[in-house]
Amino acid sequence: MSIQEQYRKKAAELLSSGEVKLVIGYGSGSTPDRRRALFARTADDAALFHVDAACDANLSGYLVNEGLLSDKKKIGIFLKPEGIRSVNILAAESQLDPDQIVILGFTEENGTVSGLQGTQASDFTSLMTALKENRTTSEKEQALVDKIEAMTPQERFAFWQAEFEKCIKCYACRQVCPMCYCKRCIVDNNQPQWVHTSSHTLGNFEWNLVRAFHLSGRCVECGGCDRACPVNIPLRLINRRMANEVLDAFDHFSGMNQNQEPVLASFKKDDPETFIL
Amino acid sequence: MTKILLRDKLDDCLTRWHAAGFDVVGPVRKNNISQYATVKKAGELDLGIILPDRTLKDLFFPQTEPMFSYRISKQKIDTEEYLPPGRQRIIFGARACDASAMAIDDPLFGWDYQDTYWFKRRNETVIVTIACTAADEFCMCTSLKLAPDSTQGSDILLRPLGDNRGWQVEELTDRGREAFSRIEALLEESPAQTAALADVPIKFDLDLCREWLQNPENFESHFWKEISMRCIGCGTCTFLCPTCHCFDFQDEGDTYTGIRRKNWDSCSFALFTMHTSGRNPRSTQSARWRQRIMHKFNYFPGKFNLNSCSGCGRCTRECPVDMGIIETLQEITKLSQ
Amino acid sequence: MSKPFEPKIVAFVCTYCTYAGADLAGTSRLKYPPNIRMVRLPCTGRISPMFILKALQKGADGVLVSGCHPGDCHFTHGNYHARRRWTVFRALLNFTGIPLERIRFSWISAAEGVKFAELISSLTEDIRKLGPFEQYKAMIHETEAPVSL
Repeated sequence: MSIQEQYRKKAAELLSSGEVKLVIGYGSGSTPDRRRALFARTADDAALFHVDAACDANLSGYLVNEGLLSDKKKIGIFLKPEGIRSVNILAAESQLDPDQIVILGFTEENGTVSGLQGTQASDFTSLMTALKENRTTSEKEQALVDKIEAMTPQERFAFWQAEFEKCIKCYACRQVCPMCYCKRCIVDNNQPQWVHTSSHTLGNFEWNLVRAFHLSGRCVECGGCDRACPVNIPLRLINRRMANEVLDAFDHFSGMNQNQEPVLASFKKDDPETFIL
Repeated sequence: MTKILLRDKLDDCLTRWHAAGFDVVGPVRKNNISQYATVKKAGELDLGIILPDRTLKDLFFPQTEPMFSYRISKQKIDTEEYLPPGRQRIIFGARACDASAMAIDDPLFGWDYQDTYWFKRRNETVIVTIACTAADEFCMCTSLKLAPDSTQGSDILLRPLGDNRGWQVEELTDRGREAFSRIEALLEESPAQTAALADVPIKFDLDLCREWLQNPENFESHFWKEISMRCIGCGTCTFLCPTCHCFDFQDEGDTYTGIRRKNWDSCSFALFTMHTSGRNPRSTQSARWRQRIMHKFNYFPGKFNLNSCSGCGRCTRECPVDMGIIETLQEITKLSQ
Repeated sequence: MSKPFEPKIVAFVCTYCTYAGADLAGTSRLKYPPNIRMVRLPCTGRISPMFILKALQKGADGVLVSGCHPGDCHFTHGNYHARRRWTVFRALLNFTGIPLERIRFSWISAAEGVKFAELISSLTEDIRKLGPFEQYKAMIHETEAPVSL
């Protein structure tokens, strides 16, 4: 039985037995190569699920939709390893109770998907350890990061200025991110108004810095923001750089488990401080 | 015999238009995005793009626009008004959907108050549209009763020739004729045949949809919740829509000095209808998606006898969660059959 | 003739140590350049990266953030939190091309009036050499000018 068939069956069982009230997965999209979120409430709906290489979205953001988990009932959800990491962070930040989440985990490599053993976020601890040990970057991405790192500050500034100039402040990057669950985003606050809400280059620059900072040590690099951006700003490069920073400086790999302390809400007395005069 | 403009004469056209004081704007691909941008040479134009990522509205209604600056002192309040700089422009190579969108927004920006910013730019711009010979799976102009060669909003319509050497010229307005009189000498008379237009299949029944939307019983239909469940509430569809025109005012500065700006706003945002009291009349994403569809296909046509959609399909093409107008109207068509 | 460039530097300081250190520098009659604008806060833990962005937005050429030495925090560990935050924010600024010479961090206690005066002097000289933060100022200028469309 293909993984897709197995998971359709599994989802149907979860729904018909009443263990979960809803399964969030992937259905057909508007073109053959697109997959979109599908919310299944009955065993019949579960037959529409897809599990394949085109399933790229991190669906965990839907879990924190207002009121969805407040009835204490369980929800099933299709997640890739990054999605499981998001659930761990949401649990660590008290946004959800991981016991309410039944995970249908899968992973994709070179276009082939395979299932992951386990149904609870806590079942995937060894996978998380392996992910931390084997952090990889695509050659293309690494080349771009190397290119940016090799630039002078002036060149780097110009590079990002040209990218952020394109930003239209549609906030797709924020809305699609499972970690951006704030009821009111700092950029929408006007008392005090820290950054410009207007979409001129300065406002865009500020917004993108704030976004990247708030995701430092929390981003799981699912790539959702990067795919969502309608003007193709390479947001993954910034997120990647920040993830490297917290890993190098504080040995922090976000979303390892549901008890992990948020990196910027914790400290060690001997944290490195090479730059403080 | 009709007038034709040959592709290899484009550079000469640009030179003449520049000499006559026109800026030339057209589809350009740069920095991993395509948009209408000012060009110096014809070679910068990318006329092969089916549809630029960004819309034509950017050129008439920018995402952020300073309106005036203010300085408040004990004795008086000084203001300085900012107006568009007043450059004559030729947009060469607009798409029919984008040009139609301008004609759709004209009555909106002028029905009770003439929007100076919009009309100043509209009156200073000549839109030269090139009819489409190719479309993608998201194009839906025909469903909106428009076509790849619609003339609404355009001053000149160019129909690509079958041999791809140039375009047949159709002059639609005096403004278009005036701009093309500058390049009269570069045009030729030719019997050349035009290429076949793009085949854009009809995706939904607009009249049935309108009927369904007008029925008050459907306002609270469960359909809205179902169809918008995966909507994440970003502004991609509205900001990449050539007809979406909502804006917000923002004072940048402090109590004493600053600039008032007009910024794009989106009905998809939760804050769009938030009251100061904290109450939000459109408190759910489904109510916000319903508003978007109702506004485009029910309220706007009710007021202006025009749909606030020109069928460019960008909302569906770019939606991060693969939603958009096509699917919603297809579902409504099914519901009302 | 145009006026010589005088850097504008905003300093966000903790009231318990660096601010007291600045006081000590003053009462000790130590000289340091008048280019610094101090903002006194209860703790470095209160200093949000937003403050740094705001200072840049308002045209600062440099920013200093300074507080109590590790272990000396009035609130026991505010500065440890701040240290992590700065490490991360500094990396972000660096990656987006904001020169790190312009954004500086220091520990200065209430007893270190001399260190304060010396730091302000060297910081001012460093930023004077760098010149105005033209790239950022160009973005600020764009927000103040009408659009060219």
